[in-house]
Amino acid sequence: MLRTALLTALILAIAIGGGASSVWYALDRPDGLEAVKIGGWTAFPEIGTPEADPYSQARTARQGILALGRAEGISFLAQYDSSGERLRRTCSYAFEGHVPPARFWTLYAADDNLSALDSHTRRPSALHSYEVLRKTENGVSIAIGPHPASGNWLKIGGAGAMLLVLTLYDTSIANSTGVADVDLPRLTKVACDA
Amino acid sequence: MLRLLHAIMLGLIGAGIIHIVVLLLVPQFSERDAWSRLAMAADLYKVVRFDARRGDAPVVRSGDPLFYSAACRFDLAEGVVHASAPGRPPFWSVSVYNRAGQNIYSFNDRAASDGTLDFVVATPTQMVEIRKDVIDEFRKSIFVETELDEGIIVVRGFVPDDSWNQAVSAFLDRMSCTQR
Repeated sequence: MLRTALLTALILAIAIGGGASSVWYALDRPDGLEAVKIGGWTAFPEIGTPEADPYSQARTARQGILALGRAEGISFLAQYDSSGERLRRTCSYAFEGHVPPARFWTLYAADDNLSALDSHTRRPSALHSYEVLRKTENGVSIAIGPHPASGNWLKIGGAGAMLLVLTLYDTSIANSTGVADVDLPRLTKVACDA
Repeated sequence: MLRLLHAIMLGLIGAGIIHIVVLLLVPQFSERDAWSRLAMAADLYKVVRFDARRGDAPVVRSGDPLFYSAACRFDLAEGVVHASAPGRPPFWSVSVYNRAGQNIYSFNDRAASDGTLDFVVATPTQMVEIRKDVIDEFRKSIFVETELDEGIIVVRGFVPDDSWNQAVSAFLDRMSCTQR
């Protein structure tokens, strides 16, 4: 009798504990089922739409996200540099290459919750395409890091891990299945502060 | 021993079932979704700003620090909703979300004939009524037809640099969201 009760309690503990904790684990991970990976960048074209998978829908509800619509734009996140290491605020990176066609784009540094980093100055940790200098053939090269650099510079302050978010606004690639076919700039590590 | 294994197996199957049930229930019962957060901040048809760059924690998490955003909640069961704002930031975009925070419809300033923000959200039945006799106020409006009852309107305005702060702030602060 006691054994049956103990076994029942065990079954319930595994079922409820395991079921609930696996949901929280799945929802706290930043990558989703419908992620599109391009180079080191990740996009979620379906997030926040009625077509999204149940995990994305639950994450949208739990975090109170109001995702960008298709006519607004699409965001790409980078967590790792080209060598596969986590992006850090104490390191300098080079962002080089071509950005897909869009009316304009913005690039900003964020923490793990995707909130923009505070640069503690009047200058935000963000750049947009109307203010960057171009190379010939429309390529872009941006220095990202804590130390001032000539040309385009995205100022980063503080320490710890960071994410980079590249958002293309009013772009045709957000509308179609063309998201996977685009090329995005590469992020290479230049140097790190000890 | 065999009974213990049997119990663990049953527990794991149960965990799978509970995983699916909890996952599907989270969107229905979340008190932290965008609608609930906005409901705590303001009434229906009240415009709420949520900007990343302003000091206090925003009501709804907004991504891009180069954007200012504002939202208002509406209920089409009470009548159509008309939103407009004077002025022209370098870029603005509008999204209509349903009660669960899913993006139903979006457009940007290129959709407006003269670049100003002026639109009406209505159900197909209400649209039939509007089309019969377009009142003067709606003459320049963009019409968004949707099957929603409750929903959220979000307007985002691009702030390229500090000199645009005031203009884009004024654009969103003077935005109206009215029930007709």
